[in-house]
Amino acid sequence: MDPSEWLHVLLGWAVLSPLVSFALIVLFGPYMGKAGKGAGLVATFAIALACVLSLVALFAIWLPEHYPGSPHGAGQHATTADGSDGDGQHEHASPGGHENDAHGHEPNHHDEAGSSHADSDHEHAHHPVAYYADYWYRLGQFGRLHLDIGYYIDSLTICMFCMVTLIATCIHVYAIGYMHDELEEYTDHDVTLEDGSHLTRPGRYSRFFQYLSLFCFSMLGLVIAGNIAQTFVFWELVGICSYFLIGFYIERPSASTAANKAFIVNRVGDFGMIVGLMVIWSCLGTFNFGDVDQRDDSGQLVMDNQGQPAMEAGIFSLVRPAAANYALVVPNGMVLASKRSEVATIVKDHLNHPNGIKAAESEVHARLDGWREQNFGYGLLILAGIGIFCGCVGKSAQFPLHTWLPDAMEGPTPVSALVHSATMVAAGVFLVGRFYPVFAPEVLLVIAIVGCITLFMAATIAITATDIKRVLAYSTISQLGYMMLALGVGGWLAGMLHLFTHAFFKSLLFMCSGSVIHAVHSNEMTDMGGLRKKMPITAYTMLVGCLAISGAGLPLLIGFSGYYSKDAILEQIFSFWRHDPANATLGMVFFLTAAGGASITAFYMFRLWFMTFAGAPRDAHRYDHAHESPSVMWWPLVVLAFFAVTVAWKPFDLSLSNLLEASRPTGTVEPGPGVQISQVWPNEHLAHQGTNYWTIVVPVTWLAFFTALGGFLFACVFYGWRILNAEDVRRQFQLIYSLLRNKWFFDELYDVLWIQPTLWVSRFVAAIDRRLIDWILDSLARVTAAFSRWGDRWVDQGIVDGLANGLAHWTYNTGLVLRRVQTGRLRQYVMFIVVGTVGILILITWTRSMAGN
Amino acid sequence: MDNPTFLLSFIVFAPAIGALILAFFPKGNADAIRLFTLAVTIAVVIPAVILALPESYTGFSATSFDLGADSMQNVFRHKWIPSFEIEYFMGLDGISFPLVLLTAVISMLAMGASWSITKHVKGYCILFLLLETGMLGVFMALDFFLFYVFWEVMLLPMYFLIGIWGGPRKEYAAIKFFLYTLFGSVLMLIAILMLYFNSDLTRLNAEQLMAANVVELREFGSAKEAFQDWKQSDPLGREYERKKAEKQAAPENEDKIKLHTFNMLALQQMGQHTELFSVPMFGCTLQCWAFMLLFIGFVIKVPSVPVHTWLPDAHVEAPTPISMILAGVLLKMGGYGIIRICYPICPAAGLSLAPLVCGVGVVSMVYGAFAALAQKDFKRMVAYSSISHMGYVVLGLGVWSASAGNFYMADYWNMGVKGAMFQMIAHGVSSAGMFFLVGVLYDRVHHRNLDEFGGIYGKMPLYTGLSIVIFFAGLGLPGLCGFIGEVLVVLSVWEYSQVLAVISAAVVILTAGYILWAVQRVYLGAEYRGPHEEALTPIKGRELAVAVPLVVLAIWFGVYPDIVLRYMDPTVDRQVEELVSWRKRHDNQPQVKMETGSTTIPLGSLVRRDGMQIDQIGMNDTLHTSSIEVPNRIVDANTLPRPIWLDAATISSP
Repeated sequence: MDPSEWLHVLLGWAVLSPLVSFALIVLFGPYMGKAGKGAGLVATFAIALACVLSLVALFAIWLPEHYPGSPHGAGQHATTADGSDGDGQHEHASPGGHENDAHGHEPNHHDEAGSSHADSDHEHAHHPVAYYADYWYRLGQFGRLHLDIGYYIDSLTICMFCMVTLIATCIHVYAIGYMHDELEEYTDHDVTLEDGSHLTRPGRYSRFFQYLSLFCFSMLGLVIAGNIAQTFVFWELVGICSYFLIGFYIERPSASTAANKAFIVNRVGDFGMIVGLMVIWSCLGTFNFGDVDQRDDSGQLVMDNQGQPAMEAGIFSLVRPAAANYALVVPNGMVLASKRSEVATIVKDHLNHPNGIKAAESEVHARLDGWREQNFGYGLLILAGIGIFCGCVGKSAQFPLHTWLPDAMEGPTPVSALVHSATMVAAGVFLVGRFYPVFAPEVLLVIAIVGCITLFMAATIAITATDIKRVLAYSTISQLGYMMLALGVGGWLAGMLHLFTHAFFKSLLFMCSGSVIHAVHSNEMTDMGGLRKKMPITAYTMLVGCLAISGAGLPLLIGFSGYYSKDAILEQIFSFWRHDPANATLGMVFFLTAAGGASITAFYMFRLWFMTFAGAPRDAHRYDHAHESPSVMWWPLVVLAFFAVTVAWKPFDLSLSNLLEASRPTGTVEPGPGVQISQVWPNEHLAHQGTNYWTIVVPVTWLAFFTALGGFLFACVFYGWRILNAEDVRRQFQLIYSLLRNKWFFDELYDVLWIQPTLWVSRFVAAIDRRLIDWILDSLARVTAAFSRWGDRWVDQGIVDGLANGLAHWTYNTGLVLRRVQTGRLRQYVMFIVVGTVGILILITWTRSMAGN
Repeated sequence: MDNPTFLLSFIVFAPAIGALILAFFPKGNADAIRLFTLAVTIAVVIPAVILALPESYTGFSATSFDLGADSMQNVFRHKWIPSFEIEYFMGLDGISFPLVLLTAVISMLAMGASWSITKHVKGYCILFLLLETGMLGVFMALDFFLFYVFWEVMLLPMYFLIGIWGGPRKEYAAIKFFLYTLFGSVLMLIAILMLYFNSDLTRLNAEQLMAANVVELREFGSAKEAFQDWKQSDPLGREYERKKAEKQAAPENEDKIKLHTFNMLALQQMGQHTELFSVPMFGCTLQCWAFMLLFIGFVIKVPSVPVHTWLPDAHVEAPTPISMILAGVLLKMGGYGIIRICYPICPAAGLSLAPLVCGVGVVSMVYGAFAALAQKDFKRMVAYSSISHMGYVVLGLGVWSASAGNFYMADYWNMGVKGAMFQMIAHGVSSAGMFFLVGVLYDRVHHRNLDEFGGIYGKMPLYTGLSIVIFFAGLGLPGLCGFIGEVLVVLSVWEYSQVLAVISAAVVILTAGYILWAVQRVYLGAEYRGPHEEALTPIKGRELAVAVPLVVLAIWFGVYPDIVLRYMDPTVDRQVEELVSWRKRHDNQPQVKMETGSTTIPLGSLVRRDGMQIDQIGMNDTLHTSSIEVPNRIVDANTLPRPIWLDAATISSP
């Protein structure tokens, strides 16, 4: 089947299926079976359908056309899409392949696309990515600019679809069991009413699945987005779903506050993203990721002068044009935007001449390259990148906007598993990966630094947290920091791979913790212990999760999924460090933090496991009532555990990393040198190339193994074998403990730094209104009234009264200017204003006539 | 229905006639009076919707709104006060038509919300209908004097509606509203008269007169014939001939012999194609002063900081349906005035004062958002959110970003204007909805203190669901109407000013702050904390009938904004292109002396179907109206080369 005809249809329906489910549940939710029980099935069916569609898209449509031949041969089959199909929809692969195979004319930038695939990595960097992009419908048209809702489908999109829908399906099934409390009257023990009783309310089972469906729709829309504006649209939508789900227990003040915090902190990031969008929009005039066919207003294809469909360059082609071998180039629009005044001078000089604008354009064109060489516009490129990354910082809970994610654990656990670990928070990383071609090296460095700070800070906080979900939340932040760091040091594939492996094992971990919470009705690990015997399936699937996140494996042979992705990250960071001796300090800091972080990860994960499942029960009452969860809840755990082990295995060509590699943005395998900085990025393939096997792969793999082992042993010492008492250590390092326990005091800091000043300004502004502006107005009114009384005495009583007795009834109440206005006073105001107006008019016409003379 | 005079007059005056009939109703039967008023408002919506539907649906070929046309439609002119050339002159285009529809729909819904009014029902309904006539008239009038009359007609009913049916401080709020608006309209009157006394129809050539609908093209016959015919048979045409002859006879008095007009379209032609309004005056030009006066008048209505303080008081005191009208329709008149009058008539002043306009917009956005954050009164908070949201409108209209520095790229300004227009419609829906929903609560518990709500979700779940949608539309959530207007405006600003762009983008944080905080305090939580808890009953059928259409519109416009934009597109495209081409000529002035009175670029840009421009066609050529098409866009996106920054970067070597 032709991918150009089927991919966007299948994935489009995969996006819409949860939306349909959402609409159905909104309208008919409470009537679906007893207490809305059917809503869970509807939502689960919808997401399962989306999952099937995604898998069909991957296996039946994508792979036959784009089977990954070898790790380095991705993208070579970028030959699809002939001309047009029936309904006028028309997609294409990359410009090179498309134009070559379909139309047989060779544009100048085509050379590498169809040539033989040498093993050299440099050659490889120039293969265009296979993708399909077009738009579904148009939001608005502004002259030549337009905003669309469209799609951009490459192997990354499809892999994300499969991952998101698969995990979401598991979580939906799990939630059917987890949320069954909501089928009946629900007594919320966390809410104490004024009379001391607990709140009892009708269950909200169907509402939960309604939000879950809306979330799945938004998340899939985000992944398939054909342009960055559409990404932003769905970005906000997943944000609002997250808001609803965090605040699901709306009666709990902590929940609604956490929901607000999540949304507002995300909006801070979005503010940066909007700035990035503005730069892109103003300078490039397009939001599209890929090249699409040009269409006129009626939707007809526009042909170029050779009779072929004309292409409209997307952001990626503008920033990395094929003509420049896909190297990062400051686009014309950015150069021009920073040379506004010169352009204006040139244009004005030519205005006078016939066809002057044309002449001016060619003159500006002639100077463009010179300006570009002087790096004009480079700052805008950096700003655009930083702006977009700000959005990612918010969504992926990176420093300094990480504070919302731990609080977001107020939501039900399936939500934490789906939204706040596997999918939505990973969307920030996904966007960095998607937008990778546009990031200047300076931006990459910022990304790496932010990721590095985040991974360390969050990992340290996770050590002291005792709420089982908060440990996992900080762990999520830390792992996202790993991904950002990897992306920042040039490890596109390593970062993206970790995104996928992390999604599986972290959702597994969250669901296991949910299973535990479900059993003991507490989030605190201090209430748990010894649960292994009561709930073995949960305990051992969670152990799988812990091993996966720690990157356990037999070094250089085989391991859990985390082993592959974490090693890839560490190798890339190591490669970054060794590659650039001139700036080794930064690389060293990155590597040591990442390696140390791996150790801490293993420590807090096994601390969690031991505290929960091993040792003696800390709370006998809770322990006695604990039980293994029903099968509807543990089956998804088993499925996810399977994927947490195997998802990154690479037995043959069809492996996750090869699939992802096919989507690597062209030209980014070795980020070029920056302008403001001197760092040099290594080629990503260096890190795992055969020639570097002994210098990078082996040492890093063993180092990773031993750091993780070290963390594990530490956890054993404190919590497994209990050789040392954690209490003693805590007392020893009281200061550090209180810093970590209070989450580095970020909440307190932000309160002083942002929230209080904002409230203060808002009160000040409100006071200006009442105290200043209205005071001036009231005083003016008082003066006018006084003046009118005076006028009344002299003008009205003297002259007007004599002429018109009907107006003689005007009476005035002294002092009550605006309070008790009578119609009489109103009339007088009108009269004064009209008299004044006429006076001014007479003055104007008089001056005009004087001027005329 | 195929007669524009009848159709438009019906839309405008049906409410007034309804009010007249209502005057003879017996006082007692309140429900009959309300039902009759509601029927009248529905009777206005029906023809407006028929206009909006394509001809193929309705069969009214002459009056169906033509989506392809960029000029005035359904225009009619009748003599009214001939001695001052004041005419009964109305029409619709893409700028006014969406607002007319909005007015009709919001009035209907507001009337539906008026069942809670129990005092002097008859008087209320009469004033309500008069108000509707005034509002509709403002959007349709093309004669400046007529515009002013409608503007004032709308003022008095509003004064009484607030002053009699309002809350505890109603007199204060009413007089404050009245004085503010009157002050603005007096300034406007001054500007109108300034423009009138400086206008001169004889400076316009045939095409410009046709573009201003002064000379009407007929079904058959050449353009020249029409013009000749006009000069001979129309009284105005004869006057035109006479003054022209006078001028030729006495060239030294040329500047004094003038043929004044209140025709807004003709004034636009003069503003853009002649130097009539550029005469110096008090250290500036006449159009500079006119622009300032008009602008102050309009931003009072918008309202923008610092002339906004009437709005919170008026809203807090006004009854719910009047708040809906006030926020949903009245505020839009300010924006409408700026785009219809300020910019096209005074382009030079608009260009030089653009920083002021944009500054006012941004300050209002920020100021309104901060003030909303501090409010304790629910309605007051919503009122300040209106100030913040209407700031987007002023900003979007003002971002005159087409300059020599970007090859006169009009598209970003185009986007800003469309964003502003869309924001007006979107805000009309969302703010009317917000005020209605606040009113629903107020009707039950008789207080609006944000800190004394809570737990409404538990007691009124359906109502809460609807409220969340409307409030999130105000928050600018994608998929709902508020987002489109905001994002279009904000994205268009960078090209004009980076500083303003960043500030305007930052407002999204504050907006999220005050809306979410209010939602949390009112709807979420375990318990209701205020008085009259027992009165919190689920939303009633009549209330649903008002709220649901607003919710549906909010979603519809947000998901498929083209349904609104398609009505505006041609007109806004044309107006922006005209102003940009004006600016090109303006920038070019030092080199080429502009010949006052006529220029080479025909403003109407009437293009024959064969592509020839009218000025290339001799005046003798027969020009059938059927052969004229008004192009969808003046600059056809595909016939022009793409701007160079849309092409891939070209460099020699990597």
